[in-house]
Amino acid sequence: MLRRYIGRNAAPNEVRCMFLPNDISIALTISIVIGCPSVVLCADFHHDVKPLLGKYCIKCHSGDDANGDVDFSAIDKSDDVDAAFETWESVVGHLHAGTMPPENEPQPKDDERNKVFVWYEDFVGNIEARPAVFKARRLSVTEYRNTLRSVLGFDLQVAIIEAEQTVAERSMVIKLLPTDPPGRSGFKNDTHQNPLTTVVWDQYSFLIDAALEQLFSPERSTQLNGFTGASRDDEITIEHAERLLRTFLLRARRRTVSEADVEQIVARLQDRNGRKLVAALKFEMKTVLMSPVFIYRGLLTSGQHGARQTVDTFELAERLSYFLWADMPDDQLLSLAADGTLKIPTVYAAQIDRMLMSPKARNLADDFAAQWLTLNEIEHVSDNVPQMVALKSQPIDFMHYLFTEDRPLLELIDSETAFISPHTSRMYGADARQLTKYVKQKGIEVEIVPNQKIKLEHTTERGGILTMPGVLAMNKGPIQRGTWMLERILGQELPEPPADVGQVPPNNGVENLTFRQRFEQHRSNPSCAVCHDRIDPLGFALQDFDNSGQYLRSQNYRAPKRRKRGEESANANSKIDTSGQLPSGETFEDITGLRHILTTSQGEAVIRNIVEKTMSYALCRQLMIHDRPTVNVIVEQMKQDNGTWRDLFHAVANSVPFRETILSAAH
Amino acid sequence: MPTSIQRRTLLRGAGVLLPLPFLNLMEASAKATETVAPPKRFLTLFKPNGVHPPSWNISGGAEHDFRMSPLMKPFQKHRDDVLILDNMGDFGFSSHANSTRRFLSGHHANTKAASMDQLIADRIKGDTPHRSLELTTEGLFPNQIGCSYISYDKNGAPMPRESDPQLIFDRLFRNPLASPAHRQRMSSVLDRVLEDARSLSRTAGNEDRQTLDEYLNVVRESEKRLQNMQQAEPKIDVSSFTRPAHAANLDQQVESMLDMIELALWTDSTRCVTYMLGNSNSRMIFDFLGITEQHHYLSHFFRNFSRTNLESLLKISLWHMEKFDSLLTRLKSRKEGDGTLLDNTVVLYGSGMGHSDNHTVTRIPIILAGGKGLLKTGRYVRYSENQQLGRLHISLLEMFGIDVDTFANSAEPLPGLNGSDFKPYQERAFESWVKVEGNQITVQGRIRMSDNLDEAKVFFVDVQGQPPVRVEVAFRDFHNFNLAYHCGTGITLTGTGSTEGNRHVISKVTELKSIHGRKPGTQNG
Repeated sequence: MLRRYIGRNAAPNEVRCMFLPNDISIALTISIVIGCPSVVLCADFHHDVKPLLGKYCIKCHSGDDANGDVDFSAIDKSDDVDAAFETWESVVGHLHAGTMPPENEPQPKDDERNKVFVWYEDFVGNIEARPAVFKARRLSVTEYRNTLRSVLGFDLQVAIIEAEQTVAERSMVIKLLPTDPPGRSGFKNDTHQNPLTTVVWDQYSFLIDAALEQLFSPERSTQLNGFTGASRDDEITIEHAERLLRTFLLRARRRTVSEADVEQIVARLQDRNGRKLVAALKFEMKTVLMSPVFIYRGLLTSGQHGARQTVDTFELAERLSYFLWADMPDDQLLSLAADGTLKIPTVYAAQIDRMLMSPKARNLADDFAAQWLTLNEIEHVSDNVPQMVALKSQPIDFMHYLFTEDRPLLELIDSETAFISPHTSRMYGADARQLTKYVKQKGIEVEIVPNQKIKLEHTTERGGILTMPGVLAMNKGPIQRGTWMLERILGQELPEPPADVGQVPPNNGVENLTFRQRFEQHRSNPSCAVCHDRIDPLGFALQDFDNSGQYLRSQNYRAPKRRKRGEESANANSKIDTSGQLPSGETFEDITGLRHILTTSQGEAVIRNIVEKTMSYALCRQLMIHDRPTVNVIVEQMKQDNGTWRDLFHAVANSVPFRETILSAAH
Repeated sequence: MPTSIQRRTLLRGAGVLLPLPFLNLMEASAKATETVAPPKRFLTLFKPNGVHPPSWNISGGAEHDFRMSPLMKPFQKHRDDVLILDNMGDFGFSSHANSTRRFLSGHHANTKAASMDQLIADRIKGDTPHRSLELTTEGLFPNQIGCSYISYDKNGAPMPRESDPQLIFDRLFRNPLASPAHRQRMSSVLDRVLEDARSLSRTAGNEDRQTLDEYLNVVRESEKRLQNMQQAEPKIDVSSFTRPAHAANLDQQVESMLDMIELALWTDSTRCVTYMLGNSNSRMIFDFLGITEQHHYLSHFFRNFSRTNLESLLKISLWHMEKFDSLLTRLKSRKEGDGTLLDNTVVLYGSGMGHSDNHTVTRIPIILAGGKGLLKTGRYVRYSENQQLGRLHISLLEMFGIDVDTFANSAEPLPGLNGSDFKPYQERAFESWVKVEGNQITVQGRIRMSDNLDEAKVFFVDVQGQPPVRVEVAFRDFHNFNLAYHCGTGITLTGTGSTEGNRHVISKVTELKSIHGRKPGTQNG
């Protein structure tokens, strides 16, 4: 079932950093479980590959200042070979494309190249799909907010009176907790590197005090009575407290609670009533919400230590709900987990579909898509918030539509559907007539207006994510745009440019060159070309769009009032050259041509990136070598069946790393 | 008018209903510090959207002999504690954002430096737990972001503001380390979670143990902090303070925030506070005053003129003054050393612009209060010429021992704040009299608005040695004669009406002439 990783149409010199080798600290545990092929391959490596590296590569690629941060001299032991997994992939890509060693250096012979190819195929072919070792993970800020809301039944909000046309962060959780940095996976739900600190601890304590105070206040009597079963103004009795604890513990721990656990707490409350009972109850509830079981995910996962196994049904319910909702399982999921029926494939599939229909699935667009596609960068595009919100909400609404309306994966690149508001309608020519008329209220200058869904008939250049005004405006100029497309859409990673690249020179007064011509002269150095051959064709294909995201060839085009230096002028649009050639040899005239390539011959690369990003988000971690077979299978399946986003979510939720785990040995 | 009095009484009542902290709890500990001179504080209250000048400006008046304007009525009782400045601001027209920046930064082009409150905060912070508090009532107004800030850091970047009194309470008084009772509670929580985490740890795998160790380390560190704190003697016990309730309307929210300001200053948690009663350009709807239009819309009282709109605007401005009144009353109620908290606090109340419809930055409302020994209060200081706000800032900085050569575009301090000489405003003299011919009445004198803001159509012309002549303006004549424009200046007005003894009422205006003045529509019109 394994597919060889490098196909003919894989992009050359592709560097993938999504995959990491086994964590060394756990390698011993794992080897008992699955066996490791690397030791054999390592011998071949020393025999077949290492001498060639010494002959052709090591001159530039060794030591502290190794070119491109690739240091072959440091690779020796079996673990090193595994760890350099993405480097081998890159090496093979370069050898196929003939881009390395550089032209002016000695070139390897064909049989030497073949030795490397054969070794690499064995190396990749011997990887077996397996889950990662389970590691508990602290809830991200978003997950903490959502989970606390689901436990309590209300959102913990800041108490301010709102005026019209103002914006304020309403969530007390988001306001008080420090922002999560993205983890190694690039996503914020990968909190493995983001430890608990005393600062965060104090904020948790504030939040829980505030939350419990609110729960026991008159305005939240509905929610409180929901827990206690009391009617209106009854004083809380020990029976009420017991009833409350049963529901509360189930939710806070996200799994069923033993009778003994409840009784233990109830025993501590005995002989109290009135205010004293409430105070003691609040204290007990606070200790639950401050305990590691609430703050972290997965500490109560059951199973056999030191063994590979399918996860228990509560853990499965949590994985699914934190993936699709960034929230804890709701009552329905918890009850399916409790009676074990969640494991039945039809039940499981039906739950995924139900969850995607839920308003909570909005989180996939707000959280997953926004982080993957760096959509928060759009916030820096304009100081005018209604305008900025309009630009940012377009791709978010679009992604939500793809995710929840069963659209094919590649509609990411090309689609007939767009989401526009009066703030963005100017960019949509005749198609904007589909908008229902918007009338501003009296006394209002600009306000946030929700998007409406339209069908693109005249302004088809706007279809898909690449040419959405906000996406174009957050990446200014061809280099940023090309880099973004390469990294975010094609899933390739680029090293930092050298520090001494300098500026693109202005016209010297003799020749009248376009920015593109001048730029091409500037970066003619081969060490630039390695990356810019990949970046530039993508970026220059978007030169029809100015820095504010307007289409220069549109009849409605309005030149910006103040043009920054070096920006392409609008009246030069007859001279704009948007054509290009990809390193794979495919050529195109403009963005329409490029879009066609990305949805056909390069479609697999796009699909692969989508699958990797989705898996990485779903698993809340960086992908590793042993995830690669799973990715391959899903990519193949999506490609064959013109898979939709819904199909993808099902496939990920049913994959080995999602359904299974390895629990590390008990000490 | 009775309804207005009723409303104000009600508002105060609402304030009392809020869970105010117990007032006398700290007297013992306050006494202990009496030997040391109490610290000086700086507090500023920003009023958004300027004012309706005819009802704000003091009509005529001299330094020690003046009549509070209709909008200053809630203030009568604080007369001895305030210093009212006039002719502040020297700029023709300014946007909401620019005028707001000018309020504490002197000039809107002063964008790379700290606002004056931040300079003061740096100087007076001492070892207080909070260097300063930047407070507001609303969220950000993003259409013009500058409308939302008055305080700027040393690079000229806006200081984040907080609008929720509950969160301010938490920050000030609910810190787990803030009191012995808080520490005791936190300590119990730590004991329990430690126990739970240990029992989990006994059955956990290696990976989970690492996670639990991370957790246990934080818990132990928190315990250590508690122990360290227990050695230090707390100055003031704040554990009995009550967290403000969830506000049901803006008035409650602001009253709660004033509670927080009072407590923050009194417990010496901070010595510098800025508080915006709203964003400039505020779109707040004062529904609890029975108003349905947005404040900004109403503030353009001329272009959006209607009796109802004007009366609504004046209600809002009066509410702002009531909040200032409430703040001063609080500060006076707190004994400190030989005086009150107000004596040790310099309070600056004001707006960024004067005329709220024209956006002129002249005759900006500015009132100083408190600051015993620093300010000479109980006076009305109207300068001969329009003054740069930066001059006021230089003087205030000097009061706190900060010497600057220049601030914004100003190089000189503003004289007169501490009673020193200043050049007062001089107007050309005119006579005042009343003539009656049949039912025609002609009066010459200074015109002002009625003190009762619920009757925006009633004006009075002050005549020496006689009761003022009452002028009731019919709707059409608002536009034909624009009496409001002339408020505070001398006019000759003719109309028909009735006379009873020496009391005259003009109910139909037929002619209006300014004695020395300009016509409506010119600058300051």
